[in-house]
Amino acid sequence: MPIVELLNIRKAYDTKVAVEGLSLTIEPGTMFGLLGPNGSGKSSSIRMMIGITRPDSGTVNLFNRPFDRDALKRIGYLPEERGLYKKMKVLEQLVFMGQLHGLAAHVAETRARAWCERMQIADAIDKKTEELSKGMQQKIQFISCLLHEPDLIIMDEPFSGLDPVNATLLMDTLLDLRKQGKAILFSTHRMDQVEKLCDEIAIIYKGKLVLEGSMKAIKSSYPANRIHVHFTGDASFLDHPAIASAKTYTGLAEIVLNDPHAAQSVLARAIEQGAVITRFEVTEPTLEEIFIATVGESVDA
Amino acid sequence: MPSSLNNVWLIAKREYLERIRTKAFLLTTILIPLLMGGGGYLAGVLASRTHSTAHIAVLTASTGAGKLFGNDLKHELESAEDSQMTVDVADDTPAARARLDGLMKTGGEHLSAYLQVLPPANPAARPKFIYKPRSSSDIGTFQAIQSGIKNVLTQERLTTLGMKPSEIAALNAPVEIETVGGSTTAAFFGAYGLFFLMYMVIILYSMNTARSIIEEKSSRVFEVLLSTITPDEMLAGKILGVGSVGLTQVGVWMAAAGILGGAFAAASGGLHGQSIFSVGQLVSFVAFFLYGFMLYSSIAAALGAMTNSEQELQQLNMFLVMPLAFCMLCLLPIIKNPDSTLSRVVSLIPLCSPLLMNFRVSLGNPQPWELGLSCVLMTATIFGILWLSSRIYRVGILMYGKKPNLPEILRWLKYS
Repeated sequence: MPIVELLNIRKAYDTKVAVEGLSLTIEPGTMFGLLGPNGSGKSSSIRMMIGITRPDSGTVNLFNRPFDRDALKRIGYLPEERGLYKKMKVLEQLVFMGQLHGLAAHVAETRARAWCERMQIADAIDKKTEELSKGMQQKIQFISCLLHEPDLIIMDEPFSGLDPVNATLLMDTLLDLRKQGKAILFSTHRMDQVEKLCDEIAIIYKGKLVLEGSMKAIKSSYPANRIHVHFTGDASFLDHPAIASAKTYTGLAEIVLNDPHAAQSVLARAIEQGAVITRFEVTEPTLEEIFIATVGESVDA
Repeated sequence: MPSSLNNVWLIAKREYLERIRTKAFLLTTILIPLLMGGGGYLAGVLASRTHSTAHIAVLTASTGAGKLFGNDLKHELESAEDSQMTVDVADDTPAARARLDGLMKTGGEHLSAYLQVLPPANPAARPKFIYKPRSSSDIGTFQAIQSGIKNVLTQERLTTLGMKPSEIAALNAPVEIETVGGSTTAAFFGAYGLFFLMYMVIILYSMNTARSIIEEKSSRVFEVLLSTITPDEMLAGKILGVGSVGLTQVGVWMAAAGILGGAFAAASGGLHGQSIFSVGQLVSFVAFFLYGFMLYSSIAAALGAMTNSEQELQQLNMFLVMPLAFCMLCLLPIIKNPDSTLSRVVSLIPLCSPLLMNFRVSLGNPQPWELGLSCVLMTATIFGILWLSSRIYRVGILMYGKKPNLPEILRWLKYS
């Protein structure tokens, strides 16, 4: 049973087409990455998914049924632009958000306290939002969209502005939620995070879907023609005729091969010429490379 | 539906609690009545103590009736109840005129004006007056002199007809009328006070509604809210929440006024036990007040949705202030004749009804059908404006950073 199903949706503002012919499906227990350059239609798509705006044409199905506002109580949404009431105390704020999502006040309060404990901000619970650091505010907002135990969690750039410790805390929480069978959709520019977390991805460019599928399938559809070598000593093996291009950093070379089968011969050449290899890895292109390649192709098209 | 009502309730409750806990609320609750009362008292005191104190000169014929008139006028202007001028009486000669003209030019002796009294063509006619002020816009002095002249002429004529000065004074004494059922003056100023109270609170709280929407836009909270509730619910909640704060404030004032009034009545031995306001007046005030609130708050909400900052809002303020200013203009005709056709028509204009129809309830006798019609019209207008506002709001809150122009706003109305 798909959690979200977009069928051929389109949205235009005046003369600008924000989203065109977009279809995608998100299954329960999936971490879904929505990628795309700025202004490509990610936020517009998300807004249509949760009924903030309505598509001009096409269908939005939530929880296997046509869009219905009741379904919104089962969704948690963290918009890219963060917003909290500055003068409200943390607990009041969380209870208010919980109530708006249909929770009774006492249930919301119990859960809010538990979550603050878990997110390590229990000390802040009686403070006003404006007294808190940006990272803390972000955690509060994160909690506010999980209080009502939504089955679909939508997060726009959830890790931006967080230090690595807190980003990891949030990631672990999201992975935990996925394990519980929740569907999680997030949009981000950080390809390394997507690569680490997502089962499925969709790349949108200029309002159109240019690539969609499971991370594994997408990556394996590209040849394993990348080599990452950690080495010391002579770098002249990089002249190997099978190497299409190579970027060298201190003690690291990122190589793109003409011929995916030439990896062994590159390794042999390196040893032969006296380089000391500490790590040698043959891989598919990174998601970032795929992203740039895909979006680049669309630009040409 | 219940869930949607619940959302409205939650938004309104949050808005209400946040506002009512602020120091600003406490301050305005205490300060506004103090300022209004203090200001009213001060204005009253000042008005009762303000007399014309100008220094003028009167030039008359050197003998006979002319001289007599000059001295009478001097007496009148220097010692009458509402005039404390300094008056010099001199003979009307070219030299005297030249001297006074010189003084007026240089501003010497603080001379404000001089008056030339020319003898009448025949004894039965009035003398001719030529008034030469230093500043032609000094209307206070002019009016004092005008009424002084009239009084003196009347007195002189009555004297020639054979009346004694004491008889003339008795004739000119003010008439005292006792009104059954409380003082008319008090009732009038009561109604006037209610008018301004409503005026002020409407402006104050409709601006608050607009501000609260802008605040929400700039803090970006609404995008989270919109993922569970509709813009209409949010708008309704905001208007109700901010409006209830205003009602609470007015409620506090009314209760305080009631207690103070009661204490005052008790202290003065219960002789003047009647309240200034009748029950009907109070009911009408509360009802029209609610209507006014809803009307102007919904306009304010639309203005808030169109703008991104306080500064931008200021530029659109006139949409709120202009109808209210129009109501002020209509006050005078309504005071003169509360049930004239003009009064009836303007008090039926929905944006004016809250202030003007309520005023007429105090002053005149609006027919029940007029009250009913104005309520119907206001209700329809409120729904109309809310419908418009919520559409502007729906699109406007998602457009930020950009100030919309009129064609864009019209286009927004087509989206939903």
